[in-house]
Amino acid sequence: MRWSLGPRGAAIAVGIALVMGTPIAAVAQGGMAGMSGAKPDTTKPRAAAPAGHVHDGMAMDMGMPIPMPAGMPMMPGLVGLTPDVGEFLPGKGVDPRTLPMARPSQTIRLKNGDTLDLSATLVRRTVGRNTFTMYGYNGQVPGPLIRVTQSATITVRFHNRIDLPSTVHWHGLRLDNRFDGVPGLTQDSVKPGGDFTYTVHFPDAGVYWYHPHVREDIEQAMGLFGNVLVDPPDRSYYSPVNREQTLVFDDLLVNADTLIPFGWDAPDFVLMGRVGNVLTVNGEPHYAMTAAKGEVVRFYLTNVSSSRTYNISFGGAPIKVVAGDVSKFEREERVPSVVLAPAERYVVEVRFERPGRVAIVNAVQAINHFAGEFEPEVDTLGTVTVTGSAATPDYAGQFATLRSNADVATDIARYRRYFDREPDRTLRLTVATSALPLATVQFMNVDTAYFAPVEWMDGMPDMNWLSTGKQVRWILHDEASGKENMDIDWRVARGSVVKLRIFNDPKSFHPMQHPIHLHGQRMLVVSRDGVRTKNLVWKDTAIIPVGSTVDLLIDASNPGDWMLHCHIAEHLGAGMMTVMRVR
Amino acid sequence: MIRAAFGCALLAGAFLVTTRPDAPGSGPFDIPLFNTAKVPDARGAARLVYAASPFGVAVTADGHARYDVLIDASGLPTPSSLGEYDAYVAWAASTDLSQWERLGEVTNGQSIVGQVDMNKFLLVITAEPKGAATHAGPTVLHGTSPSSWLQNFLTHPLFRGVPP
Repeated sequence: MRWSLGPRGAAIAVGIALVMGTPIAAVAQGGMAGMSGAKPDTTKPRAAAPAGHVHDGMAMDMGMPIPMPAGMPMMPGLVGLTPDVGEFLPGKGVDPRTLPMARPSQTIRLKNGDTLDLSATLVRRTVGRNTFTMYGYNGQVPGPLIRVTQSATITVRFHNRIDLPSTVHWHGLRLDNRFDGVPGLTQDSVKPGGDFTYTVHFPDAGVYWYHPHVREDIEQAMGLFGNVLVDPPDRSYYSPVNREQTLVFDDLLVNADTLIPFGWDAPDFVLMGRVGNVLTVNGEPHYAMTAAKGEVVRFYLTNVSSSRTYNISFGGAPIKVVAGDVSKFEREERVPSVVLAPAERYVVEVRFERPGRVAIVNAVQAINHFAGEFEPEVDTLGTVTVTGSAATPDYAGQFATLRSNADVATDIARYRRYFDREPDRTLRLTVATSALPLATVQFMNVDTAYFAPVEWMDGMPDMNWLSTGKQVRWILHDEASGKENMDIDWRVARGSVVKLRIFNDPKSFHPMQHPIHLHGQRMLVVSRDGVRTKNLVWKDTAIIPVGSTVDLLIDASNPGDWMLHCHIAEHLGAGMMTVMRVR
Repeated sequence: MIRAAFGCALLAGAFLVTTRPDAPGSGPFDIPLFNTAKVPDARGAARLVYAASPFGVAVTADGHARYDVLIDASGLPTPSSLGEYDAYVAWAASTDLSQWERLGEVTNGQSIVGQVDMNKFLLVITAEPKGAATHAGPTVLHGTSPSSWLQNFLTHPLFRGVPP
């Protein structure tokens, strides 16, 4: 399935990126107001976009402003409709010529006790042949690569210099709850021009990332993301490699020469999340690197996309998966490719054995809902040019060895006695809708025979675009209490081990996979659909396919109020979140 | 005119949690198996479970899902009662029947047979001589992958501009 570019056109809730139907300004002032499951009044006329956030020249032309998969017509019943929200793009009223061009990420090595100034700013960013006004941290996309040693603590002085409230969430870190970056829960949102100082501790080795927790569907998508590499003090923690490289995967939704605007008073693309048609690695649509023949590269992979799940491979070069979100695996494994859901990270080692050009590809089987068929979708994300000169040292022997990590296995062994017990809590993933376009409702009512466990592409972007946070409420439904999302009263004792069962209901109105993220703790995926996980790893994000039941074992050792939510930005923005309170 | 009116129509009201009617299986992983006249008492069902993967979701490098196939069968007579056969064998066949992959032997009760990585496939259980590498014996149970129910909307009124 190839995407074609249609005719030009285009179309806040903040708080934990999440207050449905509440304008940003209101949330900036009111914090968590509206977080307790309040539903938007959909009987009101379309809300006017707040002053200063309507983009001249971006008004809808009532044509189809988003790219459709080639060969797929827009449903006639949707022609002429636009999302029931105001529209937003960064930098209204700012002369783009006054903005700095975004720079590639630069590595900042910090020691225990060091301080970093981190500014979210407007930048100009060239993607392909187009230059857009977007966001960046310290003028970089991705933001600075923060490199620290395990157990370090640093200070980050955050300066919000963008046109929206923001915060910084330190994804995957088991840090002090006060610095988790969740507005209305752990801090107030940082207004434009405001500052906030974070104390960030790094208890675990691995690759982590930072991003706003305010309207991720806008701020993260527009460039606010960066990695943290936490180096273990033990130099033998990983196998020796010739080089290390972070790869950050993202996708932008672009129509011809313009970004597709975002919903202002509520997210749009809420059924599936915004799936971009320009895929980038480290912010570039044509990522390139060079390697020597036989070079072993350790890649730290992060998916910062709003919704897209990737299946990454390296042109047939052998891949060894070493670590996941928060730890190494019990055992290293050879894999044909790496499945990377939003917010997940994996550490893999790849050996480039033969000279030539190696394509880094995302290869998936997309669903063409129009034709009722699967279609291969292969996107080349970048290239590795392997030269004829041999890598030194030669790590072929070490690469061929699949290590067993006794330290990880020993750590996990302490939790095995909890694996088979009954779940402490069961959440069912579902969705509620109201006032969707009739054609969308009718289509969903007739397209009931099959839903894929994982949707790798947006096969119906017209329907998806028109669905907003005013019309769709994604739900974590607590089976025991019947309560939903922020109404769930979830308290656990510090130091306890919590078994959480999550069932992704295939009979909901729009079944879809959800990457569920838990803040501030670590968890094990102990089983999927009753099958015990054979090779465990500590995670903070786990993909829950449609129809699957996944058992998570949470090490609730870190006190505080911690979000659990879907990391599809638009699902989060449409309410799919709750809080686990650890005391 | 009708299109415009249809297109602008919205359903108003409170948020509703709606559930979908039963699909042919109970989800994307379930395959009801149907018997043939040769085995009137046979019953069966299969379930697809993602093959072991460090990522939870198992796929090939080109993105095909990889599933272990679990089969639960009952009422299968002794294979020899159907002829010169020693075992029941499960096969995954492409929907045009051009490709057949041997998955493994099936008995009454639960059997875990091999992996399948086709987008759409038929699951066919036949009686075969021991160790048969190709299918030749009579079919006793059969079903289709849930993905085979993926609908074709090429001619659906929704795409032809006709209100439903």
